[in-house]
Amino acid sequence: MKTLKLLALIIIPLGIILAAVPADRVRHFQLTADELLQEAGAGVQFISPDVVADMLVQKDPSLRLIDVRTPEEFDDYSMPGAINVPLSNLLADEYTDILHQDAYVNVFYSNGSVYANQAWMITRQLGYENNFVLEGGLNYWFGNILSPEEPSVTSPNEEFAQYDFRKSAAAALGGGGVVSTETDVPAVKAVKPPVTAKAKKKPTGGC
Amino acid sequence: MGPLAPYEIISENTNFLLAFFIGIAFGWVLESSGFSSSRKLAGIFYGYDTVVLKVFFTGAITAMLGLLFMSLFGWVDLDLVYVNPTYLTSAIIGGVVMGAGFIMGGFCPGTSFCGAAIGKIDAMVFVVGLFIGVYGFTFTYGWWEKLYYAKYLGEPKVSEALGMKDGLFGLLLIIAALGMFVVAEWAEKKFPREEY
Repeated sequence: MKTLKLLALIIIPLGIILAAVPADRVRHFQLTADELLQEAGAGVQFISPDVVADMLVQKDPSLRLIDVRTPEEFDDYSMPGAINVPLSNLLADEYTDILHQDAYVNVFYSNGSVYANQAWMITRQLGYENNFVLEGGLNYWFGNILSPEEPSVTSPNEEFAQYDFRKSAAAALGGGGVVSTETDVPAVKAVKPPVTAKAKKKPTGGC
Repeated sequence: MGPLAPYEIISENTNFLLAFFIGIAFGWVLESSGFSSSRKLAGIFYGYDTVVLKVFFTGAITAMLGLLFMSLFGWVDLDLVYVNPTYLTSAIIGGVVMGAGFIMGGFCPGTSFCGAAIGKIDAMVFVVGLFIGVYGFTFTYGWWEKLYYAKYLGEPKVSEALGMKDGLFGLLLIIAALGMFVVAEWAEKKFPREEY
């Protein structure tokens, strides 16, 4: 009986504390400014245009291009298979399933990389993963992937290899500075990611 | 910061290693609390020994307090802590089967291995039965599959179902547990059994 009283004396006050504190004190995932700065500084969010071009040519099903520009700009031109999530509406409920998932590699792009970077920062702060930024944005994409510049004769072999790859990728993607005709196919909201990003472990047994 | 494995602070393998050590500690505590005796577990159903109830409820409450406080301090994201999904039908049937096994065998799976480890023959027989059950279920899984997945409720928490805060439910659970402990000690006096 004495142990019981002692136990009661310890756990009841602890229980009262828990019942009294407001529930929203329970903190959820958030990156500190420091951690975010570190990640942004290391450039972990960037995905190289060559990688994206390769994935597009291979028709990699895990790639999902997300255009964060305005719907008007999106209608004007968008990358093949891209969907439009305007930056101003980024936090709308309808996009949560798209941004918070672990089935696709989401690649944000805008004209440069500023807006795409902003989108990445916001989603990263929310704890979402698998979101990346197309390095250099559409400007670089047009200037270097779709219409690559031939290296000078004295350039190292790697540059020629890159040039060859880009040239064939551009051909496959309808490049050469010409806006592709297949780009106005917005294969949009039909894509529903099957998984949410909640971490799962194996079930455990009883006693 | 936590939970450690989902945040990949520790690898899956380290996670298993930790589980291994915790398992050993768990077995040691079971054995030193006397759970390797089948009379101990059977006692709970007859009222002469309620240590099982007390140990497991104290354990549950300690874990609950720990998790809630760690979440309060921002050390653990409770949203990422694994919650067993609830399949209502199989939970009820499983509970009944397990309870019947408890009374008949005097062991639960954990304590049977504990008992077998220190050479109790009844525990070894129980372990054999346990494997027969496991294999029996596995090989006839097709028959049960529908029942097994019936009445899926997701991953509900009691506090959510009652629409109250986790902390408040915790306090109520603590009070309920203490009440149960008082009843348990009363039962031990009321239905004494000396000869073991």
